[in-house]
Amino acid sequence: MLLAVLIANSEGNILVERFNGVPAEERLHWRSFLVKLGVENLRGVKNEELLVANHKSVYIVYTVLGDVSIFVVGKDEYDELALSEAIFVITSALKDVCGKPPTERLFLDKYGKICLCLDEIVWKGLLENTDKDRIKRLIRLKPPTDF
Amino acid sequence: MDLITSDGSSSKPSPASSTTAPPPIDSGAPAGPPVPAVAERKSKKGTLMQIQSDTISAAKAAFNPVRANIMPQRQKKKPVSYAQLARSIHELAATSDQKSSQRQLVHNVFPKLAVYNSVDPSLAPSLLMLDQQCEDRTVLRYVYYYLARILSDSGSQGLSPGGGIPTPNWDALADIDAVGGVTRADVVPRVVERLTSEALNEEVEFHPRRLQALKALTYAPSSNSEILSKLYEIVFSILEKVGEPQKRKKGIFGIKGGDKESIIRSNLQYAAISALRRLPLDPGNPAFLHRAVQGVLFSDPVAVRHSLEILSELASKDPYAVAMALGKHAQSGGALQDVLHLHDVLARVALAKLCHTVSRARVLDERPDIKSQFNSVLYQLLLDPSERVCFEAILCVLGKFDNSERTDERAAGWYRLSREILKVPDTPSVKDSGSDEKDAGTQKATKDKSSKTRRPQPLIKLVMRRLESSFRSFSRPVLHAASRVVQEMGKSRAAAFALGLQDIDEGAEVNTYSDNNDSYDSDINPTAPSEGTRRVPPVSNGIGAKDTIASLLASLMEVVRTTVACECVYVRAMVIKALIWMQSPYESFDELESIIASELSDPSWPATLLNDILLTLHARFKATPDMAVTLLEIARIFATKVPGKIDADVLQLLWKTCLVGAGPEGKHTALEAVTIVLDLPPPQPGSVSGLTSIDRVSASDPKSALALQKLVQAAVWFLGENANYAASEYAWESATPPGTALMMLDADKMVAAASSRNPTLAGALTRLQRCAFSGSWEIRIVAAQALTTMAIRSGEPYRLQIYEFLHTLAQGGVQSQFSDMHTSNGEDQGASGTGLGSLISPMLKVLDEMYSAQDELIKEMRNHDNAKKEWTDEELKKLYETHERLLDLVSLFCYVPRAKYLPLGPTSAKLIDIYRTRHNISASTGLSDPAVATGISDLIYEASKARVPDLIYETTKKKSAEPDALDDDLVNFWAANLADDGAPAMNRVNEFLAGAGTDAPDVEEENIISRPSMSYDDMWAKTLLETTETEEYDARSSGSSSPDSIGSVETSISSHFGGMNYPSLFSSKPSTHGSSQSKERPGGSRYGAYEGPSSPIREEPPPYSSPEHRRYESFENPLAGSGSGSGSHSFSDGRPSSGNSQFGAALYDFTAGGDDELSITAGEELEIEDEVDGWYYFANGRAAAQVKKKRPGRDGKLAGLVPVLYVSPS
Repeated sequence: MLLAVLIANSEGNILVERFNGVPAEERLHWRSFLVKLGVENLRGVKNEELLVANHKSVYIVYTVLGDVSIFVVGKDEYDELALSEAIFVITSALKDVCGKPPTERLFLDKYGKICLCLDEIVWKGLLENTDKDRIKRLIRLKPPTDF
Repeated sequence: MDLITSDGSSSKPSPASSTTAPPPIDSGAPAGPPVPAVAERKSKKGTLMQIQSDTISAAKAAFNPVRANIMPQRQKKKPVSYAQLARSIHELAATSDQKSSQRQLVHNVFPKLAVYNSVDPSLAPSLLMLDQQCEDRTVLRYVYYYLARILSDSGSQGLSPGGGIPTPNWDALADIDAVGGVTRADVVPRVVERLTSEALNEEVEFHPRRLQALKALTYAPSSNSEILSKLYEIVFSILEKVGEPQKRKKGIFGIKGGDKESIIRSNLQYAAISALRRLPLDPGNPAFLHRAVQGVLFSDPVAVRHSLEILSELASKDPYAVAMALGKHAQSGGALQDVLHLHDVLARVALAKLCHTVSRARVLDERPDIKSQFNSVLYQLLLDPSERVCFEAILCVLGKFDNSERTDERAAGWYRLSREILKVPDTPSVKDSGSDEKDAGTQKATKDKSSKTRRPQPLIKLVMRRLESSFRSFSRPVLHAASRVVQEMGKSRAAAFALGLQDIDEGAEVNTYSDNNDSYDSDINPTAPSEGTRRVPPVSNGIGAKDTIASLLASLMEVVRTTVACECVYVRAMVIKALIWMQSPYESFDELESIIASELSDPSWPATLLNDILLTLHARFKATPDMAVTLLEIARIFATKVPGKIDADVLQLLWKTCLVGAGPEGKHTALEAVTIVLDLPPPQPGSVSGLTSIDRVSASDPKSALALQKLVQAAVWFLGENANYAASEYAWESATPPGTALMMLDADKMVAAASSRNPTLAGALTRLQRCAFSGSWEIRIVAAQALTTMAIRSGEPYRLQIYEFLHTLAQGGVQSQFSDMHTSNGEDQGASGTGLGSLISPMLKVLDEMYSAQDELIKEMRNHDNAKKEWTDEELKKLYETHERLLDLVSLFCYVPRAKYLPLGPTSAKLIDIYRTRHNISASTGLSDPAVATGISDLIYEASKARVPDLIYETTKKKSAEPDALDDDLVNFWAANLADDGAPAMNRVNEFLAGAGTDAPDVEEENIISRPSMSYDDMWAKTLLETTETEEYDARSSGSSSPDSIGSVETSISSHFGGMNYPSLFSSKPSTHGSSQSKERPGGSRYGAYEGPSSPIREEPPPYSSPEHRRYESFENPLAGSGSGSGSHSFSDGRPSSGNSQFGAALYDFTAGGDDELSITAGEELEIEDEVDGWYYFANGRAAAQVKKKRPGRDGKLAGLVPVLYVSPS
């Protein structure tokens, strides 16, 4: 299960979060844990360089893209490497929507589209579409494979 | 609730309400200022309307038709409220045919609405209208997004899968709405109906919408069986039409270049199988299996992935059915072979799992052909270019599947990995089917490569090289995953050794099919870093060297060890775990020890990770009890290096289990390993030297110094409790009667005699004696107690030795004798010498009584002997009573087995026995002693998985020749530890062993750093929700010509957002509210520019009137539009109007949604401390009050925030 996707700005304020199967009372904890992880480790990290963490049987992979930090949390089949795949899809979709690694302003300008992309990438806690052209088509209500 | 119709002030009928919303209920105030009318009807229910009015207040204010199209320039940056967005949707839905409306929806309304974690059901009618009437694709895409949100919203607050700004429980709001609200129950059937009809629409042009409609439908909660069965129906009807495999066309893997019909077909296949994947598994349903098997042939890679995932889940339930259904697909050249080359990593991962499940299924034992087909596919996945897939295949080979594998499965896994050979089938896969005919003849470059890897390879070699090359990666997730694989390898290997599998000799040469080709790495892993970055020579460098499993492992472990240099502490932790698992009990662990010691000296290790490693030691012990002493030595490093960070309970549990597991020969060493910490010099403040030496405790800060002391205390206590066990010295087994020649010796000779007889016990005694003098006050107390325990449990001469020592200790007499032995800790030892006099005297009294009773008995016996008379029953009774009384007394100090313990000495055994037999007194009360029973059951890992206890039991059984079902040593040992509440630690260990734990991490306290920057919520208020200057549009600001009132409401919103700093959310202390808000107050003033001319009024803290009054105002204010701002002053400064406390009662049940909130039950009496007025709660549609309960509630909380309208002040 892909438990959470969370995008924060460089100060640790959360811009987007999507939880799947995480009890409401635990979300705050996850949020703070991830934000703390980011604040402590993401300084000076190159764009898209992947960092890893785990907590019990839950894996976390996170990275920086432009002004935003992206965190994905998963368990079971979504281990560090599967999460790396997922985060790769997310970063390439973000770059696609924003045209470059986004500044915070740009991210917020494209907020709606980003939410739609995430909706196509993660569907009920499972990674869905991984191809960025396909995602691009789907958020414009085009079929996944066009003719 | 319809936002518009509930507002009686609207003179222009809302388009939305006229078309889709439920008919407006006449509020009786058709025009004019609505507030008085509403306010007059302020019944109890009317009061409750306040909740919604809070949500929509801004919208109401803005809903003045006259001002609808005015966009005041100074309003440019005003944040948009949820209510405004909701209203805009209603309005724009009505004019969705206009381009401008569509643009506004796409650019302004929908994206901003996405910030909230759910949308209220009253939006559904407008969304459905858009769905029917709007043509714009982007608008429609958003419509599906929001319809899915409405379907998925579980109804309770903050529980929707989203996140973002919390929204209220819309249904609860609608329920208490006097005017008649819209609940999910009202709209969900309509949404489902609409989406269902779309999902069944077969028009070609409609098919993209069809896919999205189906997708949105899957978000309906799976608890709704009606929707669920509808969904199954839709999915299966689609698959009925398109699911049958067509004649395969070329170019399937290049998605481009199919005809329109087959592409649409493929899209529908994808949508249907994706939806099926989200539906609950239906293992008994043949249609389910049939469709999933068909899915393997679909051309859409994502569809194939979902099919395989479904199949692998089905296979874990019914492997036989799945294997039969897959039939020829699994054969060489079949569809499963194609998946090997499918460009979808997760599809191949699912394939690995599927193959593993089928190839290991017992039910297929009759069909080795099928099993070997799947096995062959699994082995081929070891060559996969993706680490994710390859590692999954390795784990499958190792027998790791979930966390419930049995030991024999893991052992078999190690056997497979170390013995089996990968032979790639000769038949080329269908990937190359286009070039089938060329296959025999021309060999292309790719063919060359594959032929090289197609040589039969021993799995172990393949895996080792792959892992080695992964360890050279720079990617931290790859390093972490590779270490994890090595850890799992260690687990399987340990299992193999534990079961004593034949033929696991690691010195044997592995098969030499490989010709030690150096280009191997790049063959299997083209992404491996180039030669230049290699730190370690590949395994096979030694030309002609024979590879043994041992040498392959050694080479791998070398690379693993170097990985400990990784910057990432999580990777390092995983590496250490892997090393612990790969450590064999018979090899030197010096290297591991020094790695751990130097790692632990790094202060950056988080406590959770250290505890994880400690738990790994537990698991390692469980797998290989022979490791007990090694593990204790390692655990010691944790005790001395990071006492403040580790869970002392878990550590002590490890001590206990390892001590028992160490067996008769290891017991002494095990006890040494634990208690050697008592011999170490105390930490020198400020000394950095010897940080990495394990023979030096380090406690650099007061916190860890305190923890270290606690740990030393625990060690002292542990020593006292277990010394007798470790030394196998028990008073009740000692044949030496008191008063023998030994007692005549002087003290020095007695010590010498004692230590020669039992060095373990003598050593423990010496340690405890030293602690009783030289430790800190707390340690001295524990040491005295430990000595007493030992005195009671040991036979002579130890008891006497301790007795003498305690005497001197009580008098402080030998202080000088010992004083040179201890380094002063600066504490005043007290005028009475050790200061322990009062503590020791009851202990001495027990021993005194025992000795005098023993003397008495000897005297009596002599009298009887001399007089040659039998003991009368009266005399025996007296004796027995003394025996029982002393037993009771002794039991106050420590556990002794009542059935066997003889406080009157071994000579009393016969007489006591006579009395017991005569009076039918059962001697075995000790074993049925509830305390003993509890002690044993507590220490059993888990009744159902009682491997360790069995094992311990067996170990102890072997060494004890006693016929008792329960070994007394064991009983004694476990029961003795009753005082130590090991239960939580046990749970932690069990949880860890079961691989459980997806609960959220506790963020350590150092996290509470106040960030002066904006918080998450502030973010929204400030940037996202504000109108961008470039994209202004009329409707958004319609009617906001009352900037003062609106501005003030929303200014307060932003200032409250500022107050919600994340870290502080964890402190539920009400005080933080005040402080964080006042701290953030300047944030509020950033919006000063929009506050309008009346802002000075708001600077003053308002006189607190009554809640009714305030509510009235907040209800009225936004509508008043007079610019007076009078209504908003009470909450505009974001400060709680504190100082007022009154009593009230809860009107409704409220479930806390956040840490600072409080759950209340209707009717509960409450003390209302503060009303925390704030825009935040307005944004959520409610104001909050700080209340205190008379009694703590279910959650144990006494105080917190609740929505103001959930309580009624009395």
